[in-house]
Amino acid sequence: MKVFTTVAAFLSLVLLAGCSTPSSDTQVADEAVHPDLRGLWAGGARDIGAMMEEIGQPIPFTDFGRERWENVDLALNPNGYCLPPGPQRAITGPSPFLIVQTDDVIAFLHENHGMYRPIYMDGRGHPDDILDYPQFRGHSIGSWEGDTLVVDTIAIDERTWLDSYGLEHSLGLHLVERFRLSDPDTLEYSVTFEDPEFYREPWTLTIDLERQIGTRLIEYVCSENERDLVRLRSTEAR
Amino acid sequence: MIRRSRPFLCIAGVVLVCAPLWAHHAFEAEYDRNQPVTMTGTVTLMEWMNPHIYFFIDVEDDSGNVTNWAVEGGAPNGLYRRGWRKDSLKPGDEVVVDGWLARDGSNSLNSSTVVRSSDNLRLFAGTSNREADN
Repeated sequence: MKVFTTVAAFLSLVLLAGCSTPSSDTQVADEAVHPDLRGLWAGGARDIGAMMEEIGQPIPFTDFGRERWENVDLALNPNGYCLPPGPQRAITGPSPFLIVQTDDVIAFLHENHGMYRPIYMDGRGHPDDILDYPQFRGHSIGSWEGDTLVVDTIAIDERTWLDSYGLEHSLGLHLVERFRLSDPDTLEYSVTFEDPEFYREPWTLTIDLERQIGTRLIEYVCSENERDLVRLRSTEAR
Repeated sequence: MIRRSRPFLCIAGVVLVCAPLWAHHAFEAEYDRNQPVTMTGTVTLMEWMNPHIYFFIDVEDDSGNVTNWAVEGGAPNGLYRRGWRKDSLKPGDEVVVDGWLARDGSNSLNSSTVVRSSDNLRLFAGTSNREADN
């Protein structure tokens, strides 16, 4: 981090000194000051409900949200039907994902269900009608706050769960995710869930994701040999 | 041979890291964590496919009757990274499988570890039971 700070400061000085610098040079310099998040990163590999329990921060359910969580039928886990995870579950789940980074868009290529997720970095907002056309991955726009990539996501299909153990959400779910390199091989990932229908206040989970070296994205096609669906049985209330 | 077993502990020296892998379904909806089981059988088929690998074993009971069981493991991607290969188990291999029985009463189980009898190679099978000892 110290090295990065030093480099960033140097590049900032170069920019300030070169007020007549052509815009193309400025663009190059701007690119350089943003951290390079490219690479293959591990998923969180844990269920977020369990992680929140571990850190002693109970999930702040509304009465409705708690009733849903206590009575959810785990046989209805959408991934069990080979539907893709939502945007955060694709990261907090176990499968790695590849970050492809350009000026205008950052793309997450998830091994899990072969999902891809564009993060628009060109200053656009969310489409006006996006809530009428929700997506499993939602719609994501991003910006840089210093060394942190901040991603704002809405319009996440309410059929997705936040983990395998029945954390549900409404179409009103708003995610704010923050990605920061705490060292060259560690990506600090923080996600804040805001959904007044299910959760009485925003709540945040922060985990470290490790850079994956010596492996590759491996194809995952859920419907290739799905044998489980016919054996699923409803589960009892918690 | 089939015997009901106590939940096992992964021990030092296992070939592969022992921690739950992802399942595309909830473990509780398909398997019964209160019915742990240990089976000894002979591999008849390996299906190295998504969303879970399956291998099938012939198991002989005390009366000499043979039944074929479907054994579910993790997804190929996670197992590959832990050292499994599609030919780690071949038809004819004798194995000892630890796991949990399916809730629907079918001849199927979710496996936690598999030991290949010929060389005692211990393979972590990627159970989706997050309460498995690890």
